[in-house]
Amino acid sequence: MSRVEVRRDGPSLVDGYRAVVGDGPMQMLETLAARLRGHRLVMVNSTATGGGVAEILHRLVRLLQELGVPTSWEVMPGDARFHGITKTLHNTLHGAPGTLSADDVEWYHETNRRAAAALELDGDLVFIHDPQPAALVLHRRQPGQHWLWRCHIDLSHADPQAWALLEPVVGRYDAAVFSHVAFVPPLPVPAYLAPPSIDPLAEKNRELDEREEDELLAPLELPTRRPWITQVSRYDRLKDPLGVIEAFRLVRGREDAHLVLAGGGADDDPEGAAVLAEVRERAAAVGGVSVLLLPSDAHLTINALQRRSAIVVQKSLREGFALTVSEALWKRRAVVASAVGGIPLQILHERTGMLVHSIEGCAYQITRLLRAPDLRRRLGAAGREHVRGNFLHPREARDYLAVFARLVEAAAGALR
Amino acid sequence: MNGAPFALSGAVHLVRPTHRVAHDLAELRAALVDAPIESLFYHAVDVVLRSASATELPPDDFSAWAHGVLQDGTAAERLSFAVQGADGGPVELRERLLGALADVRSTRRAPEGAAFVFLTSESVPIATGRVAEDGDSLLRHLAEADPSVWYYHLVEQRWFAAGDAPLLEWLRARGEARLAEWLLEAARSGKPIARVRRQVLARWRRSRLGPRLAAAAFEPEAERREAAHQAVAGLVRRLQRGETAS
Repeated sequence: MSRVEVRRDGPSLVDGYRAVVGDGPMQMLETLAARLRGHRLVMVNSTATGGGVAEILHRLVRLLQELGVPTSWEVMPGDARFHGITKTLHNTLHGAPGTLSADDVEWYHETNRRAAAALELDGDLVFIHDPQPAALVLHRRQPGQHWLWRCHIDLSHADPQAWALLEPVVGRYDAAVFSHVAFVPPLPVPAYLAPPSIDPLAEKNRELDEREEDELLAPLELPTRRPWITQVSRYDRLKDPLGVIEAFRLVRGREDAHLVLAGGGADDDPEGAAVLAEVRERAAAVGGVSVLLLPSDAHLTINALQRRSAIVVQKSLREGFALTVSEALWKRRAVVASAVGGIPLQILHERTGMLVHSIEGCAYQITRLLRAPDLRRRLGAAGREHVRGNFLHPREARDYLAVFARLVEAAAGALR
Repeated sequence: MNGAPFALSGAVHLVRPTHRVAHDLAELRAALVDAPIESLFYHAVDVVLRSASATELPPDDFSAWAHGVLQDGTAAERLSFAVQGADGGPVELRERLLGALADVRSTRRAPEGAAFVFLTSESVPIATGRVAEDGDSLLRHLAEADPSVWYYHLVEQRWFAAGDAPLLEWLRARGEARLAEWLLEAARSGKPIARVRRQVLARWRRSRLGPRLAAAAFEPEAERREAAHQAVAGLVRRLQRGETAS
């Protein structure tokens, strides 16, 4: 069975989000949902667990159900070969090297053809996430349906061959949604921008009391006397962990602090393991740096780490959207981050954080903030409000509902 | 029309790319000549909604780019000034922006990946179900509703009409010209929505104090005493909330 049963136990999401964003925004969401009364929404992606897309779908599907929009979620079936092909497709769409043979392309389409026969797709609003199930539209589109493609990945450096596979497919949708303008290729259908969002109720972001923080952080044995500067990201050259260590080395000549680099496991990624080894070597040489390798489910630990940090850094060389920035802002942290990808949407320079373009700029802003606790508080408070208004799940749900309302009403208008 | 209540709407602004970019000020100016008005609206005005809860509004997208990316302080200041003074709608804004860039000398190019990308927005109005019967109920709704309700009626509709907004006309027709002027003044103030909303509400409450006191003078003593207790209790609650918030 490909249908995912979303958990409905526990407190209502609508009530939880209302407590966070306020009554006004939730009323807007409820009104939009009422506008789609009589319609049925089906979400499709390629996995029910692991990864950011599955994470948001678990919340989004339940939220829409609570709002009265009948919504179901189906996972596209596929064999190991298909997943290998779509992994290559994913990587090459990100700009990494790789090729797909004619047989691979044929298997991609064949798997979509079979999935189209197996899936129920029993809604008039069909919401397809990412490239894996994108070709379903070629095989199951029915009159009266509205198909929306959500691209969660960065296509700004997409390999032309990989995009050539998807382009004619995406052209069969009614519209497509992207996270950032830089990710939008030329398309024959309307493209919309909807930045991703964080869940204020999730373990990664929920409020923690001091005792919980102490308990979560104690096993890490981090020094408590000096303020922490923290970067949370996987060990990847594009996240520039060596650049962060260098910026920290420059800071340490002026201010006392401790650097924490926290990232997920790199065991299955040879490049990640090599970067981690370099980071450890460099950290040992500089001193005052903790390099943490945390399991992928260490959400509460990351939460506590961010909350206890004086400054959170995201010194990436290239980024998709970098939701770690919104996570830190939501926790009222002062953030120093590179002006790349979606970061400038989250960091309004000197208002919700500091944007930097170099190692020296990063060191300068960290030093400045270490010396100015009032400025840190002011940025943190403004950052939290900026995230509340723009980067929480209810806003993302609202955008999707508005796009569907637009498609439905435009079609109704065309029929009149 | 005069006696009819006013139905309040908010709006979701769906953002779309235009695939038009500018790498320097000359290209920015060339693009501004025929940029869709929705695009001008998004980059110059929409910052009011995007930063509804800020303590101070960030600059518009044009001047933020000139300042942050091109690092051309003069152009950034001129663009900021042009946007700040443009309250007359799209035609006036376009003229002011083009005027600000009329004699630019700078040939500084944006670094790779930092070009100005023109976006546009599609407004999807949403009826909130809230209906204002008079000035009091209007302000009660505006205080509680999504910031986009304030924005839609007092900024967006006025800007695209390059004139008055239906909400302000409705207020005047109901004899609430003073409130209409306050709202118009607030909408033009260049301050974030949350802040001006608080200011207008406080002003309105103060203005209602006199009539309420006058009306209360004719109430029986017991009712006046009870009302006084309620007022003091409300003040204490507000003070306590203020202490908690700080």
